[in-house]
Amino acid sequence: MRRLTTLAFAFMFVAAACGGGGGTSGGTTPSGGGDMSALAPGKDVKPAAKITWWHAMSGVNGDALNKIVDGFNKSGKGITVEAVFQGTYDDLLAKLNTAIASNAAPALVQVYDIGQVYMRDSSQIVPMQAFIDRDKFDTKDFEPAVINYYKYQDKLYSMPFNASSAILYYNKDAFKEVGLDPNKPPQTFTEIADAAKKLTKKDASGKTVRYGFGPSIYGWLYEQMMATSGVQYADNGNGRDNKATKVNWDSAESKAILNWWKAGIDGGYFFNPGQDNNGAANAFDSQLSAMYIESTARLRGHINAGGTKFEIGTGLYPRPDNKPANGGNIIGGASLYVMKSRPAEEQQAAWEFIKYAMSAPVQAQWQSDTGYYPIVKSAYDQGPSKEWSTKYPQFNTAIDEIRNSPQNRATNGAVLGVMPQARARTQKMIETVLLGQASVDAATKAAVDEINAAIDKYNKANP
Amino acid sequence: MRFTRRDARELGVGLAYLAPSLILFVAFVFYPLARTFILSLYNTRTTGVPTTFAGADQYTELLSSPTFRDGIVATTFFALYTVPVSIAVSLILAVMLNQRLRGINVFRTMMSSTIAVSAAVGSLIWLLLFNPSLGLLNYVLSLVGVRGPDWLTQPGAAIIAVSITSVWLLLGTNIIVLLAGLQGVPEEIYEAARLDGARGLRLFLRITVPLVSPSLFFLLVVDTINVLQSFTQIHVMTKGGPVDATRTLVYSIYLDAFQNFQFGFASAQAVVLFGIVLALTALQFGVIERRVHYQ
Amino acid sequence: MRRPLAPRILAYSVLVLGAIVVAFPLLFALSYSFMTPSEVATYPPPILPSSPNFDNYGTVFATIPIGRYLLNSFVVSAAVVVGQLATASLAAYAFSFLVFRFRTLLFFVFLSTLMIPWEATIIPNYITIRTLGWLDTYQGLAVPFMATAFGTFLLRQAFLQIPRELWDSARIDGASSLRFFRSMVLPLARPALGTVAIYGFLSTYNQYFWPLLITNERLMRTTQVGIAQLRDEETLRWGLIMAGVVMVAVPTLALLVLGQRQLIRGLTAGAVKG
Repeated sequence: MRRLTTLAFAFMFVAAACGGGGGTSGGTTPSGGGDMSALAPGKDVKPAAKITWWHAMSGVNGDALNKIVDGFNKSGKGITVEAVFQGTYDDLLAKLNTAIASNAAPALVQVYDIGQVYMRDSSQIVPMQAFIDRDKFDTKDFEPAVINYYKYQDKLYSMPFNASSAILYYNKDAFKEVGLDPNKPPQTFTEIADAAKKLTKKDASGKTVRYGFGPSIYGWLYEQMMATSGVQYADNGNGRDNKATKVNWDSAESKAILNWWKAGIDGGYFFNPGQDNNGAANAFDSQLSAMYIESTARLRGHINAGGTKFEIGTGLYPRPDNKPANGGNIIGGASLYVMKSRPAEEQQAAWEFIKYAMSAPVQAQWQSDTGYYPIVKSAYDQGPSKEWSTKYPQFNTAIDEIRNSPQNRATNGAVLGVMPQARARTQKMIETVLLGQASVDAATKAAVDEINAAIDKYNKANP
Repeated sequence: MRFTRRDARELGVGLAYLAPSLILFVAFVFYPLARTFILSLYNTRTTGVPTTFAGADQYTELLSSPTFRDGIVATTFFALYTVPVSIAVSLILAVMLNQRLRGINVFRTMMSSTIAVSAAVGSLIWLLLFNPSLGLLNYVLSLVGVRGPDWLTQPGAAIIAVSITSVWLLLGTNIIVLLAGLQGVPEEIYEAARLDGARGLRLFLRITVPLVSPSLFFLLVVDTINVLQSFTQIHVMTKGGPVDATRTLVYSIYLDAFQNFQFGFASAQAVVLFGIVLALTALQFGVIERRVHYQ
Repeated sequence: MRRPLAPRILAYSVLVLGAIVVAFPLLFALSYSFMTPSEVATYPPPILPSSPNFDNYGTVFATIPIGRYLLNSFVVSAAVVVGQLATASLAAYAFSFLVFRFRTLLFFVFLSTLMIPWEATIIPNYITIRTLGWLDTYQGLAVPFMATAFGTFLLRQAFLQIPRELWDSARIDGASSLRFFRSMVLPLARPALGTVAIYGFLSTYNQYFWPLLITNERLMRTTQVGIAQLRDEETLRWGLIMAGVVMVAVPTLALLVLGQRQLIRGLTAGAVKG
């Protein structure tokens, strides 16, 4: 009898501990491939008069975002969106995590690309697919590469908002100076190494005053190179067919990337700005480095900073010498989530705003104000978008790159519950190699072992 | 020893004076700490909700992990580079500022100005100076013929860079405290010592240092605790890198809680860090306070 | 007796050198705040702006409600100082003059709060504040910090410097401990109280993570959070950030100047020697 009581208590305790957050609707991961409309509020629910939106855009991009919000608030729908800047993506996610734990989340949140699994597993969101199914919303106009990034088991859980990709930035004037063709940027690893050697310049005392190539140690850039190499970052379809169980960083392609990077540093023609992305951008602006790789969303910033001093060129992102046919680029940026803990009226209002933000005119203006891609293809036909393309043809590289990328699991990008940790770990892995602290084989093995263990722990804690 | 009624009354009076502080401490320090300790015994979901009881598992996992050992090393170096240097430099500057010269207040203000600078702001400024891409500090150094290291991208240099930032941030507080301490030393003692023939360095070591030792001890304890818990400088400048060289215990807690969302594991680390700081301070009080000279 | 000239010149030169070494980062910040974005991004880096302008300052005003942030920071910091002076002086008095069992243990309990890493307490504290309904309020920002082990420790050290004779003669005169505290101890320890006040003000003013966590409403934010807003996710504008840095640091630097005078006055007004 005592045994039964103890067992009962234990069971109750475990059940209570596993409770997780509350919420009005059921679970967020349906078992079949069925219609998700039931998860959205009823069609005739009247949208709330005011909702809050947490985001991480400031500066030029923040201004553009506020423009969209103002436009919506004045559009006569009777809904006021209050956009609140919450810091960097990392800060915002930390804040959201705390808010969820004490039931204080807002109706709409912008979370970065690698926060996908976290958001899904939190059981705190209303999947975007629910609204799409309920209203039979047409998604044909959406940019496929962007939409596919945010799908899991073919369902859309959030609405992409700011989408970028990675390209090569290069200094056309420097190219001309050393006799390289300014209209034909290097595309493969070897081409970049060769160009970088030519572009590196030293002064009389032997100090390097210009490096050929200066990528920052940023996990995202490594992820992109895995994608252009045509390999998956993790197993199980990059975590999209099923939860990933291990990572693929010890593959031959990954080691090739690391060896190429290390050769550049050792040879003195690659610049190492460390993990500081802004530093790498600054180095390019100040012409300390003649080429570097980063997001398309930086284009506007570069034009403002360096545009009058030298001509900025953009090219395709680096890929292995054999240019694998299944290689391509991954979408970056962030997406919008509707939070389940808010009343149905607020969820409805959030959806109204999302539809507005996805309309072609709004997207075209957004693109022109920032440098992000429009989420909908018809935006390209709009005035502001055309103006932007004519004035800054460098941006077209990014569009072409995405359009021409094959759509497969490698280029869809990886999804992992421990993605932020994984990204940080690849950065440590790269650093270890570049600083000569370990061989490529040892460094990759250590990183893989560590993250596989972390994935294992995550999967056990979040079944 | 028996606990008499007088003892009880005196304790009551004492507690009355301590009550306002104690209530706040219990509410905002001890109670949360207890909750955190409990959390360290559980595996947690990403939202921090405990799932399964882990007992001491997270502790054993922690103590056997190489990242933890690296964290101890990083923390130790960081503390060793920062605390003695900051106190020594501040003492020298405070002595310089303790002179009766015209306009000395201007200098006092300038040198204690770092207390008005937040860790975030100070770190941003030093980030600008150490920045490998802008290279401001190295450029200035090169003007005097010194080739500066790759501050934030080489592991050894990165710890020193964060240390320099911390030393600089602590200067303001340290100088103010030491100056107050120095000014509490009566002039007669100096005169008497000078009459006895003591000068310069001897005067400094034999008279000044012992007399200002309460302040020195105070700063030793407080600065050590401060440095062992420093977060902002690392977050703004190195994010724990390169290669975890600046991943101190405190920063590790942050990463595990707010980047990796492993609250149970992070809580275990917080408990361990607390233990270390407690032991260290007890050691300082036990061993060093004896040599402090109170008037 | 006039002090000889040569050592005076030496003293001044050393002081000037020291002041420059300590203050040069702030001077750099000032210099950069006047530069344009394209100038910041040049190599070798400039030290002085070629055509200084106030553009960055204007942009700061346009980007964030900095006046309101300064007000918030000031109100919260002032509240914390008042709270800390009250709680710490009472506690330090008990630790230095009163005798009672467990006194050392309790002192150590106080000190132990200094060593608890803030990450260990921040989430439960957030929940407490939320339960009290204190999110986005001045109380929520101030109350958790109104007790200070640092201040108690510092004041205890200062109180211990007060001669026992004063205490003994006051007891003989029949004064209550509270009276002694108010009329003798506090005035004599004014410099230390001043230091606690300054330190408390500045450390509250300089907080970042806690205000970030408990204020969601834009108008309730504090200066440090406001400065962070100038850091873009995608681009970093050093000139703008330095302008913000300068604007945030100037009030506290001004306070420091005033505080310095008060400190010196307190020290020379026949204080500690009694």
